[in-house]
Amino acid sequence: MNYETQVMLEVSFEADEFYPQAAVLGSHAAEALENKHRSQLTGLENIAESTSKTSDIMDYIKKQTARFSHWRHTLASEENTQQGFGERLRAYLENDLAQRRDAVCARLQIGDSSYQDKQKRRRIHLLLIRQFIRSMVVEYEYAVSAGKNERKER
Amino acid sequence: MPTHTQLQKIWLLSDTVLYSEAVAFMRRLVRDQGCNPLPAAQVNGLFSIAESQLYDKLYAFVVHQRDRDWQPSKRDIKTFYTALEETLTNMQKRLRSDFHLLGGSRKPGGQDEADEQELMALLAREFIQHLLAENGLLSIRAEEERQQRQRNQQAGRYQQQTGLAHHSPHRKTGGRYGN
Repeated sequence: MNYETQVMLEVSFEADEFYPQAAVLGSHAAEALENKHRSQLTGLENIAESTSKTSDIMDYIKKQTARFSHWRHTLASEENTQQGFGERLRAYLENDLAQRRDAVCARLQIGDSSYQDKQKRRRIHLLLIRQFIRSMVVEYEYAVSAGKNERKER
Repeated sequence: MPTHTQLQKIWLLSDTVLYSEAVAFMRRLVRDQGCNPLPAAQVNGLFSIAESQLYDKLYAFVVHQRDRDWQPSKRDIKTFYTALEETLTNMQKRLRSDFHLLGGSRKPGGQDEADEQELMALLAREFIQHLLAENGLLSIRAEEERQQRQRNQQAGRYQQQTGLAHHSPHRKTGGRYGN
């Protein structure tokens, strides 16, 4: 199996593993951003898909969190009541997905000292972030439309 | 014009070195040294210079802001630009030694210097973007803390005025009312 196929398989495997967390954050996004701020999540998705740097995504989240109160919306019903949506998302992408990247790299025997290996690690982190955001946005769309339908039925 | 290989190196540096250094830079100033985050007008000015200008113009802007005679209430801005100037000077030294973006020793004038300026503009832009993003977060946290303090003070005053402090549930369960 060639390298690219191995990477795609590993990323897909991790995507299955982190799907529940993506769904949790998608629901958080639905409560925080509601239907009216959809474009901000589309903006995040566009940046994630087009950038070559993970730090661009973190910067975008920080800027949105600083600029809009709905990005700082906390969920009263969950354990983690202190973290707003933006901070929670950034922490997950920056820390948890970095751990998953390390696990993928270990399985693919990618080190962290040579220049080539560092580039590979960075790309895998970016692929994981893209996949996470895709899943999160799907859940957001579902939650938002389910909420809309619920209101219609009432 | 930077080569594709140089750009890839810059992207890697941005993610693995400059991002964490920018976060540490801002936190050191705000949390450790007690400075206020950079105000919005400064953020906009620095951002537009970093986005549009050549490195020598950016550096001149940073030095100019550092050397301005700031009024006492804005001394934190001077502290910020002093630290930023030091970081940029240091970054220029690291261009060859740490970052390996240019080979050989520095030759003044000509293509060598032009390449160095272009690469420094890109690196500085990355660093400043990360700085300003972190600055925004720290600003909002500082504002939230200020509001929380205000709410606590108001609640304290209200309790004193209404005498609720003497009838709090905590006091009822302890001391002479206890167990």
